[in-house]
Amino acid sequence: MAAVAQTDYAQLGNDLEREELENGATPGSIRLYCQLLAVYLLQNDMCNAKLLWKRIPPTVKQTSPELTNIWVVGQKMWLRDYAGIYEALQKEWSEEVKMIMGAVQESVRERALRLVRLAYSSISTDDLAQFLGVSGEKAVQVAQREGWQVDEQSRIITPKKIEPVPAPAILSEQHLSVLTDYVTFMEN
Amino acid sequence: MATALEQYVTMVQNLSASGNLTQLCDFINKSTDMLTKNASHLDNVFGTLDMQQTSLGVLGVLCVKYNLPLSNTSDIDTLLVQTTEFLSKCNGEQVRYATDSYAELCHKYAQTLIDRKMYSSGIAPLSQAIQKIQIHPAQLTSIHANLCQLCLLSKNLKPALRFLDIDITEISREGGRFDAKDYLLHYYYGGMIYTALKNYDRALYYFEVVVTTPSVAVSHIMMEAYKKFILVSLILHGKIINLPQYTSQVLKRYIRPLCQPYLDLASVYAQNNLADLRTTLTKHTEVFNRDNNMGLVKQCQTSMIKKNIQRLTKTFLTLSLTDMANRVQLSGPKEAENYVLHMIEDGEIFATINQKDGMVRFHDNPEKYSSPNMLLELDKEMQRCIQLDSKLREMDREITVNPQYVQKSTGSHEDDMPGTSTGPGKIQAY
Repeated sequence: MAAVAQTDYAQLGNDLEREELENGATPGSIRLYCQLLAVYLLQNDMCNAKLLWKRIPPTVKQTSPELTNIWVVGQKMWLRDYAGIYEALQKEWSEEVKMIMGAVQESVRERALRLVRLAYSSISTDDLAQFLGVSGEKAVQVAQREGWQVDEQSRIITPKKIEPVPAPAILSEQHLSVLTDYVTFMEN
Repeated sequence: MATALEQYVTMVQNLSASGNLTQLCDFINKSTDMLTKNASHLDNVFGTLDMQQTSLGVLGVLCVKYNLPLSNTSDIDTLLVQTTEFLSKCNGEQVRYATDSYAELCHKYAQTLIDRKMYSSGIAPLSQAIQKIQIHPAQLTSIHANLCQLCLLSKNLKPALRFLDIDITEISREGGRFDAKDYLLHYYYGGMIYTALKNYDRALYYFEVVVTTPSVAVSHIMMEAYKKFILVSLILHGKIINLPQYTSQVLKRYIRPLCQPYLDLASVYAQNNLADLRTTLTKHTEVFNRDNNMGLVKQCQTSMIKKNIQRLTKTFLTLSLTDMANRVQLSGPKEAENYVLHMIEDGEIFATINQKDGMVRFHDNPEKYSSPNMLLELDKEMQRCIQLDSKLREMDREITVNPQYVQKSTGSHEDDMPGTSTGPGKIQAY
């Protein structure tokens, strides 16, 4: 389900990029810029998001406070200021970008959780709460759901590392033919 | 007067229909003067000729129109619209007979758009134009540079990647008039595009191509590329990477002395001292700002901090964040934690932070180079090498059967023609 939605956003992004190019020198609609900016944020493509913000005509920026709000999220994401990201996300988004911004929040949270798991052998509850943009109690709940150890007294959480997923094996026959190719290449 | 134009139309139609395109190109080239004299009626001719059937005829008319002194804005607007339409509708097979005029049209079109600050409207038409005139996607045309320039100016870089991501193996001849400037610009702009998108690896390659282009004279493009080459090389590798042997002497003798502030920066960088780097930076601020390289210079600063942290992993197994902050000259443990966190996220170091005792523990690279994924990666690289090898052989074969080459390489034994020994000798040295 999530995968389907992901590809849809990628497709939406491509469509919007094409639409922008076809507009040529005339400025595009506010919807176009808002959605495209949000899609870049969702893809964590900060370079392109920044470039898009730079090329949006000032007149469009002035007429749409929502566009500015989306970019505030982008700025915080650029700085990787998690508390700032969640705060900036707390807005009433219009129908056009509501779904995408919701997905942005989800993806940021997922990324944060993955990062904590990777980077910390122990982390304070408050810091975890900041990473996830939730209250301290909620953070403890999340940690428990992940099966991490929570020390109630010192308020320190010990994340559990995940074992790398074993990659699918290659068929041995196919493997053999590839190796044959290499040997013939090397010998020539 | 009008009869001359009518004759032009008829000739174009007849020759296009019979497929006598080489002859048609000659005829159109000879008609330039006549068309210029009848400038006021050119729009009629443009309307009469079919863009698909008689692409070359229309191309001739448009080229003449760009050479006219147009002052009226509405005239220029019309011309731009006409060109856009032509680029999307013309017949690729036909215009390939006049690659030089076609490229010239695109250059003038791009220049007009730049003059009028309408950068983004040229991106889609020029992308189409390149695809139409290319024989295969790995062929470089002089239009590539125009497209990259428009993309940079409009700050919309993604459309250029479609062309930049392909490694060039051939240069379109364009009537034997391919300018070194277009080649250098393509790689220079391409490098800038990759730099802006933080694909430093590829950017460095692009700048390297500019810097190592064989040359006997100083080119400003090459000089600017060398400055950016230094900066990107520092960001990526922490030092100026060695340039290949075949790099032109011009670089060492003339360009390097002109880039002194950048070389200063690199030598200070090598000492790993953040404070010294900051001093050098302040000293040369004016130069860096003037060259529009300040952003990259600042990134060198960040890169030095990261490199210093990476160096710590070689000495220590565990280190407290406070200690790290002192050693790398950061403001405090919180900033150190942030750097480490970012670096872990970007896969630049392998470490875990222990907040309980404020320590960082460094790990070895978890990659054991034994997983099937690594094999797959290796496989991809091998395939690329095999392809590169076959491409090289093919090019080598082409050169050995090139009449000019054969004449020169055999001629040098018989009579001592000056320059012959250096010409082909250089090519082999590559």
